[in-house]
Amino acid sequence: MNDAASEPTASARSEPGEVGLVEPRDFVSPAPFTFDNGLSIPGFTLRYETYGRLNATGDNAVLVCHALSGDHHCAGIHSLTDKKPGWWNNLIGPGKAVDTNKFFVLCANVLGGCQGSTGPSSIDPRTGQAYGITFPAVTIRDMVRTQKRWLDSLGVRSLYGVIGGSMGGMQVLQWSLEYPAFVQRALAMATTAREGAQAIAFNEVGRQAILQDPEWNHGYYPKGGGPRVGLAIARMMAHITYLSDASMDRKFGRKAVAAHHKTAPGTLATGAASAPLGANEASSLSMEGVDPVAPAATFDVRFEVESYLRYQGQSFINRFDANSYLYITRALDQFDLAATHGSLEKAFAGVQAATLVVGFTSDWLFPPEQNRAIALALLRAGKRVSYAELATDLGHDSFLLESPQIYDLVRGFLN
Amino acid sequence: MSRQSHLKRTVDMQIIADWVEPGSRVLDLGCGRGVLLEYLVHSKQVHAVGVDLDFDKISACVRRGLTAYQGDMMALMRALPENHFDRVICSRTLEELPDPGAIIEQALRIGRTVTVGFVNHGYWKNRTAAFFSGRKPRNSVYTTAWYESRPSNPASIADFEDFCALRELRIARRAHLHGDWKTTCRFAPNLFAGYALYDLTR
Repeated sequence: MNDAASEPTASARSEPGEVGLVEPRDFVSPAPFTFDNGLSIPGFTLRYETYGRLNATGDNAVLVCHALSGDHHCAGIHSLTDKKPGWWNNLIGPGKAVDTNKFFVLCANVLGGCQGSTGPSSIDPRTGQAYGITFPAVTIRDMVRTQKRWLDSLGVRSLYGVIGGSMGGMQVLQWSLEYPAFVQRALAMATTAREGAQAIAFNEVGRQAILQDPEWNHGYYPKGGGPRVGLAIARMMAHITYLSDASMDRKFGRKAVAAHHKTAPGTLATGAASAPLGANEASSLSMEGVDPVAPAATFDVRFEVESYLRYQGQSFINRFDANSYLYITRALDQFDLAATHGSLEKAFAGVQAATLVVGFTSDWLFPPEQNRAIALALLRAGKRVSYAELATDLGHDSFLLESPQIYDLVRGFLN
Repeated sequence: MSRQSHLKRTVDMQIIADWVEPGSRVLDLGCGRGVLLEYLVHSKQVHAVGVDLDFDKISACVRRGLTAYQGDMMALMRALPENHFDRVICSRTLEELPDPGAIIEQALRIGRTVTVGFVNHGYWKNRTAAFFSGRKPRNSVYTTAWYESRPSNPASIADFEDFCALRELRIARRAHLHGDWKTTCRFAPNLFAGYALYDLTR
């Protein structure tokens, strides 16, 4: 029925606060873990953070699942000099949409990752060497199963909610069908139950950039070394797929870097580009030792979008491991609930959680149709599911958007 | 929303709630902010699903603890199997939709019963407004001037019953209300009823 003009939206909320200083911790599981493919490792570590407090009944936990290049640090700061808080800080905190006054919020770096959890760059205790490509192939389900072990160790009896975007959304779906009685609410954003050919194609180009870099050396490279050129290119390309035509045009347009305004063409000093968008710390945007092309002046940075992408590539190689990138993109591509279970409806047959799926109109990596398909399959399976679709032009990364509409939706779903 | 139209909303909610079987599966086409569905959940413990086009309306439904789907109602219905719902409700929505016949047909495929509620365009006040002033009717139901109105395809009770006869749809129940939307209108409803509600089955 139509009742468009009713009720004001929630008003007079107290000013939300910040999580503040946080410290990562490690969960060490000494018991062997067997991957989906049957291979096992003698034990594993998950690095994680928590905000808020677990209640006495152990049922106020909200698990946050991160995306491909994300990590466990989703809210707060590690030191007072930190320039940036955790990646979902706008959503998580006291009085925020995911309210740490009410909920015990947790996030762990995924298995196969490189931010402190066990992955290909970790040392295999059996050999004393880094696993490298001897690390078993990781799946989304493996990520979820290791996290279950971690939650059990903390005394979490059931998940009040599990939320995540992109690959985080895949984990959310996997959680609610792997542990149906454990998950009360599942919120998946900008995600898919199976990637389309285009998303697989983009991941493959990224992997090839790494694999074809001689420094990759079949996966054996020293810590801090390795295929830095390949990984940077993979990140540059992937980053484009997280944005959109419209948002890139608005941010950068055809703006030239500052050097080109001041200097005559041909006399450009390498790396004198202006740093765009939070890239101020990068006084030099040269990709020294990374630039795949000899920086002949003609092909040096001319447009701001170029220097932005180079900065993205450069900063990524300092925090991410190339083998982890290979493993996790493979996990994304392999994820296919319909194929694994016969159909999406069969996959969801046992789901008990109330589910909310959120798509974004300009997301061309995991487009709205793929998000809608999840909601429709859950509906056909007779489950409690809502689907919302936000009109934004910010592309796949819209789920990280500072949007009061998203905050209201998430808050409403959790309360 | 004016007090009068609020009253009108609650009246038609009560009739629909009377018709709904307790614990049944209900889909509301054009669910808005979920006021009707929330009422049905509380009064009849229905398993409710809403569909609407607007993000903020879906968000309001979610806040009410309802499940709602943002998107095109025809696309949603086509994606669902036969008899997925016990009842599909289309209350004061149909006149704003293109091809209402196709919508009712789909609703009768996925639902055993379809409840349709609409403002009777044949109501005498609507007729005289057009006849004497020569203008689009303006009253507590048609509140806006033409230049700020959504496209509308109003129907009269006679139009609707003709349609049901033509498509051989069984009218299981009907309620015709006077212009006050409270008291039952038995005499010449196409002229004297302001609002009409129907339960259709195949």
